[in-house]
Amino acid sequence: MNKILLYLIMLPAGLWKRLGADVTQLKAILSVKLKMDDRKPLTMGRPQSDAKKRKNKFNSTLTFIVGLFIGFMYIMPMIMFRSEPYMGLFSFYTMLTVLLTFGLISDFSNVLVDTRDKLIIFPKPVNDRTIFLSRALHIFIYFFRSVFPMSVIPWILWGYLHGWKGALWFPIPMLFLTFICLFLVMGCYMLLLKLSKPERFKDIIGYFQIAFSIIVFSTFYLGMPYMRQTSFLEQFDIRTVEWIKYTPTYWLAACWYWVEPATAKLSGTGWLSILAVITPFAMLWVTVKLFAPSFVRKLSAIDGVEVEPVKRKVKQGSKSKLHQTLGNIFNRTDAAKAGFSLAWLQTARSRSFKMKVYPGFAYVFVYFFYLFLSANVPFDELMETITKKDFHIILLYMTSLILLSAITNMNVTEQYKASWIYYSSPLDKPGSIMGGAFKALWVKYYMPFVFIVSAFVLYVWGVKAIVDIVLATSNVTVYVLVIMYFGNRYLPFSMPEQMKTKVGKTVIRMIFALLFMGCMGFAHFALSSLYQEVAMWLKLLLTLLSLAALWTLWDSYINTSWQQLKMAEDAA
Amino acid sequence: MEPIISISNLCKQYGEKTVLNNINLDVYPGQVIGYIGPNGAGKSTTVKVLTGVIQDYTGHVQVAGKDLRENLMDIKRMIGYVPELAELYDLLTPREYLHFTGTLYGMEASLIEERMVKMLDSFGLADNIDQRMDSFSKGMRQKVLLASGLLHNPSIVILDEPLSGLDANAVILVKELLQRLKQEGKTIFYCSHMMDVVEKVSDTIVLIDKGTIIANGTFAELRAGSGESLEQIFSKLTMADNLIEKAGSLASAMTNNNTNEQL
Repeated sequence: MNKILLYLIMLPAGLWKRLGADVTQLKAILSVKLKMDDRKPLTMGRPQSDAKKRKNKFNSTLTFIVGLFIGFMYIMPMIMFRSEPYMGLFSFYTMLTVLLTFGLISDFSNVLVDTRDKLIIFPKPVNDRTIFLSRALHIFIYFFRSVFPMSVIPWILWGYLHGWKGALWFPIPMLFLTFICLFLVMGCYMLLLKLSKPERFKDIIGYFQIAFSIIVFSTFYLGMPYMRQTSFLEQFDIRTVEWIKYTPTYWLAACWYWVEPATAKLSGTGWLSILAVITPFAMLWVTVKLFAPSFVRKLSAIDGVEVEPVKRKVKQGSKSKLHQTLGNIFNRTDAAKAGFSLAWLQTARSRSFKMKVYPGFAYVFVYFFYLFLSANVPFDELMETITKKDFHIILLYMTSLILLSAITNMNVTEQYKASWIYYSSPLDKPGSIMGGAFKALWVKYYMPFVFIVSAFVLYVWGVKAIVDIVLATSNVTVYVLVIMYFGNRYLPFSMPEQMKTKVGKTVIRMIFALLFMGCMGFAHFALSSLYQEVAMWLKLLLTLLSLAALWTLWDSYINTSWQQLKMAEDAA
Repeated sequence: MEPIISISNLCKQYGEKTVLNNINLDVYPGQVIGYIGPNGAGKSTTVKVLTGVIQDYTGHVQVAGKDLRENLMDIKRMIGYVPELAELYDLLTPREYLHFTGTLYGMEASLIEERMVKMLDSFGLADNIDQRMDSFSKGMRQKVLLASGLLHNPSIVILDEPLSGLDANAVILVKELLQRLKQEGKTIFYCSHMMDVVEKVSDTIVLIDKGTIIANGTFAELRAGSGESLEQIFSKLTMADNLIEKAGSLASAMTNNNTNEQL
């Protein structure tokens, strides 16, 4: 697959050359990077087992199926606006842009500013534009691999609705859309890199990611209440929102003008399809010509920050730090305390971890506001409405995304080779370290959210919601523990992360978390529909069962032996 | 004779911290420069400036009469660099890696293959040519790095701790190689902490500390009739505190103050 994509990506070699890249070097870099992506690194000197290879194939298939599923979920506007293809396409492209931009920000953006190979490629006679393009196109190849399955079902549907012309036409604007999303995000990063001080750049990127995620999701979710109203859709006329013609996703939709000019309700907008063609190239040109020239210089400076030695005497027996105090409270064994401290400190300082995890925090906040705004009614009326329904259950399960995102990202690191320390230490069983690390992230990222959300829930829904809080907290912890136990049972910061495993990771995690929340939410609502007393007793019983499951699972997790760890790593 | 590398008033700052402070240095063709200094003195930063990895410095650097900033690509083609840490793409085999680096220098595939086989054979890696390097020892990786630094036949060779991890035979081989490169007229910029090797292979020794050159001359000039070894000169010029006292306090740090018991 990668070989075909590399061939395709090198077809416009003339364009890359005109943009200032050395085509031979560009191809050599891309070819080597893709070759490395296909090879799984050794972890603690062990080669890849056959089981692992089979699992990789299974993961690729699963990723493809999830992609198809996402595409299926996004076909709704195409069907709803069947008679108005422009509007259907505009809505489809807009929804997809939100998803893809978010995926790019959380999964791929650190690849662009990766400085790991600075001593390998930077000293060679390779110019900035070649280096920049090699990274952008490397990301594009994987990005394309995640976009392709998402477009299969919409493509088939469009072909079904609009015949062979529609089927032939569909991939063209999709390709433009992919380029627009990619260079929109890359362009923003390059601009930030150009404007910011190198030593502050990675911090700024972190803030940018969080802010961007919040903006993207706010726009999407807060716009959804209008879209969900059937009357709104029935009475909808594209001419009432004429401003949409200024958005790139409408320009992409306007490409339908090439097939059916007569269906354009916004008259005189057919020419906008030219902008859909020009925009990706313009973005590419601006990014490469204006921002890339200082790329290597800036990248080199990012990691070059050295800290002045602190001129103070080291005090012996000084006061414990917060993580040490908490580590002592939550853990009994020294190994667990060590795991707790390591996870606490690494997650606070690793930019890569923050870049992957923090944007996900946006979800909870945005959803929080969405809950209020979705009803589109005065505040008092809204409070009355939501207290009648068990909305708080969804909110309680929504927090699982934070814990899930933090804990599943805890195992991967660029410095995975440093995990030799676990293997050379006199550790009886690795489970204690893993348990300590799990607790650290639970206390650090989950507990504060649970407190805030619980305070809000208790205020709005009253004391009776306390059972829901305990049950949901226990269920979420069991859920995340199950994922760790069966799919991520590794030592903290011990696994390498590969480009191909990044494909759609955030999106897949979102889907599973949403499915989980859906199932739990449904079960809770089902309980609430029973007589109040019966429901309460059932909830209490389920809470006990959930806590028992948690205890059993936890005991098994923290008693993970070296043998079990090896088996888990082999199967991964 | 015109210097092949001419550094004047080179300064580099990271935020508030000055890492290189007004470095002035001329290196002549065919010379072997031993560039030494304590940890954090600015050796690697100088090397990164010369190899174009760091570009935001002040001052002037000329290589073969050309300004480094203006002719970065031309100058990079003249330089072969072996970095301090064994940084390479270790998921590749030596053959794949060297083909990759050779391509970046615009070399023909056949020439890369020919040179690569000869070099790896000389380093005793002929049997490992198609093995992934993530299972290689540090010394084996270092040999591949040396081969990649010399593959395009550079006129200037910059070596940052090139003997790191090599066994005794490989050290002899590399020392011999340095002499041969010197005879061929190549300029060698040699950074190391291994004073005995620097002492033997260098024509000129440059000692840098806290971003400033504090000594520059032949080994005989640095000794100035004192009879001291390079290690002793280094220690005298760069270490303010007494090393023997420090070693004593290090040893005592491992002993429990109350019981003196050992674990």
